[in-house]
Amino acid sequence: MTMVQDMPDTSIPTPHESPRPTIGALFRRRPELVSLAILIAICVIVASINPAFLQPSSLIDMGRASVVTGLFALGVFAILAAGGIDVSFPAIAALTMYSATLFVINVWPTAPMALVVVSTVVGGAALGALNGWMVHTLKVPSLIVTVGTQYLFRGILLAFIGTVWLMELPPQMIAFGKAPLLEFQSGNGVTVTLPMYFLVFPAAALLTWFMFNKTLMGRAIFATGGNADVAERLGYNQRIVHIFVFAFTGALAGMAGIIHVCANRMANPFDLMGIEIEVIAAVVLGGARITGGTGTVFGTITGVLLITVVNNSLVLVGIPSTWQRVVVGAFILLAAAFFVKRSHKS
Amino acid sequence: MSQSPSDQTHFLELRGIHKRFGGVHALQGVDMVIDPGEAYHLLGENGCGKSTVIKVMSGVHEPTEGEIILDGRSYSHISPIQALEAGIETVYQDLSLLPNLTVEENVALGQQLVSGKGRLMRGLDKRLLSETAAEAIRNVGLVPTRELMKSPTAELPLAIRQRVAIARAIAAKARLVIMDEPTTSLTRKEVDALIELVAKLRAQNVAVLFVTHKLEESYRIGGQVVVFRDGKCVAQGKIEDYSRADLSKLMTGREIEMLRYREGAPMEGEMISVRDASSGEAFFDVNFSVNKGEILGITGLSDSGRNELAMALTGHLGFSKGSIEIDGKKTRIPSPAAAIELGIGYVPEDRLSEGLFIQKSILENEITLIFDDLVNKFGMINARKGREEARRISELMTVNTKDIDLPVGALSGGNQQKVLIGRWLSIEPRILVLHGPTVGVDVGSKDSIYRAVQAMAERGISLIIVSDDLPELLQNCDRILVMNRGELVDELDANTADETQIYQSMLASRREAAE
Repeated sequence: MTMVQDMPDTSIPTPHESPRPTIGALFRRRPELVSLAILIAICVIVASINPAFLQPSSLIDMGRASVVTGLFALGVFAILAAGGIDVSFPAIAALTMYSATLFVINVWPTAPMALVVVSTVVGGAALGALNGWMVHTLKVPSLIVTVGTQYLFRGILLAFIGTVWLMELPPQMIAFGKAPLLEFQSGNGVTVTLPMYFLVFPAAALLTWFMFNKTLMGRAIFATGGNADVAERLGYNQRIVHIFVFAFTGALAGMAGIIHVCANRMANPFDLMGIEIEVIAAVVLGGARITGGTGTVFGTITGVLLITVVNNSLVLVGIPSTWQRVVVGAFILLAAAFFVKRSHKS
Repeated sequence: MSQSPSDQTHFLELRGIHKRFGGVHALQGVDMVIDPGEAYHLLGENGCGKSTVIKVMSGVHEPTEGEIILDGRSYSHISPIQALEAGIETVYQDLSLLPNLTVEENVALGQQLVSGKGRLMRGLDKRLLSETAAEAIRNVGLVPTRELMKSPTAELPLAIRQRVAIARAIAAKARLVIMDEPTTSLTRKEVDALIELVAKLRAQNVAVLFVTHKLEESYRIGGQVVVFRDGKCVAQGKIEDYSRADLSKLMTGREIEMLRYREGAPMEGEMISVRDASSGEAFFDVNFSVNKGEILGITGLSDSGRNELAMALTGHLGFSKGSIEIDGKKTRIPSPAAAIELGIGYVPEDRLSEGLFIQKSILENEITLIFDDLVNKFGMINARKGREEARRISELMTVNTKDIDLPVGALSGGNQQKVLIGRWLSIEPRILVLHGPTVGVDVGSKDSIYRAVQAMAERGISLIIVSDDLPELLQNCDRILVMNRGELVDELDANTADETQIYQSMLASRREAAE
């Protein structure tokens, strides 16, 4: 059925008439490729100066270090995509991981590990849902809401649950932190293991990718991030989108929290403070705009790897660890300058 | 065309609808009937409740009181999803496209959303999405190339975005398409295409409801006219039965003469003269001059170069060639700041994004240009003087509110435009370029804007009105220049010219070139 045959006319410029696949255009469209290029460049430079970088032990170290940041980052990406921001996820992680560990130690020492994990995930989701519900009902920017709940969650943890470090973890939690996926004998005879829990990061990334690309919810989240008023007019239920996306982030934070405890073999209620800025930086380096509605899972992973490599490899080439912050800061500004230029061009 | 026997079931009926926003009684007992295949033209001044009533129909606003009868069933309110399910589609004035989603997604996601009654925890059928979107895009006369379908809508030109918004409306098997001022930013040719599309929709028994200010288009389309005033429906009937004067009177509640506003004449002495001016590909070898106190109209299709000329005259776009003399002195206009320095004011076409500080008060918007003068030697702002000045401007422009501390965003389009034009009164520019001064402005506000424009000319200001509203140019100008493909092709005396004559010049060489 062609309703108006004579309408394709020349008076309306067709966009992208001459597709010029320049590298600049590619980077504008896929900003995460800039971070990927930086990441590869760093890896090549560091590896050529100090081949120890490519040894299994240091790669595994980085793999391990990326899990917690990665889970947080996937959550932050989801919220940025919906046009919000969340700074309460470290507090959610701390509250759920510490409460769960305390409960297992004092009440049910033989609790199966799967149940412990599920409880932190569900607990995190519930706290996240509270964020989402407040963002929606109070019509307050999510930054304000989550700054508030961040204090609230930390306060509840320290005031009502506990302030002491839990150093004696129950055996099933230690086992979860140690269960090997891969084991290597490194050069100096020390065994290095890539733990099983590493798999949680790719699995969560896959789940996030699926949610964003294969479900209507994913499109609804982007729609909300693009323009919330319009999305509402078009029938995307904003209450559900908000509650879902914050609960999703909360669930990932709960997961990240319990992994953090098991990996470090202790639960410290003061832990994970201040990590939110680094996580948000990783996501933004991955090409998501802080103003919302953009970003990809692939970009988020790139951003996480970039931050992880910078944090873990600069020492290998003789750059003191105090300089890591300078480097991360410079990258963020570089990326920001680039992204600003991008938005001016479009 | 009118085929609405009263014995058939109405598609949609509103009965005694009231809507209150806090203390504002926006709809005061509205009754309306929508029948399949009919065209409706919802007319009224800004703030009369037009937008509110379409939002009630599309489920965005819940009425405070009243009954909505949809397909014979009665509801106290309907949800956006319910409205979409029933086939009520709205093309909002802002188009309501999601800027970050692709054309494909914008057009066809709604269908999947509605078929699942708004549930989001469902798989996305990408194949169905592509197919639905491609068909709808073809139906609005675009070619569904991969490039287009996968582009985020933010990257597309306005005319394409509008078609995408219409494609979304018809992708979903619409039964009523509501269009909120659809032709405001379209060229004449695009308007023709739109009108043709509307006829096709009606032939398929789809009802179309226009919210519009453009009476001539309504007469061309035909159908029913519905007039709103102060939240009430004051008339509904066949459009042929109402003259322009009748409709203006119904809308404003007072008589507005469609006479020429221009009574004065240009003064002695050239204020600005432009010689052999070009700007890139946009316009070439343009020559004209404007006297003191003269009102010059410039028109043309939207790609004729008229917009770029307005921007170049005000420092928003560079001249690549040519010379400009202002008050006998050769000069350059390298930036908007330089233009203001030279006494050239500019009222941009897009007042929301280019002109007004929408969250700031009327007061602050009106005195932005004279901030420097209001600051005393201690760096403090003389608030009392600023307030007096803002009050004077608001009175001159008849801005329809006593409260100059109100944010501009709370005003109607007409009043916003008055604030924007009034701002220039604070510095008495030598030249004022008005770009589409009454786009999206209601009849009553148009009247006061035109009076203000004439008063400025009487004071010796040279005015250049760039517009495609031909009655506006004929009513207000001394001379009208017509641009076509970047060239000045005609100059007409506004006192004797008529619309047909201007249209011929606007389109002439184009047709010749096509042959």
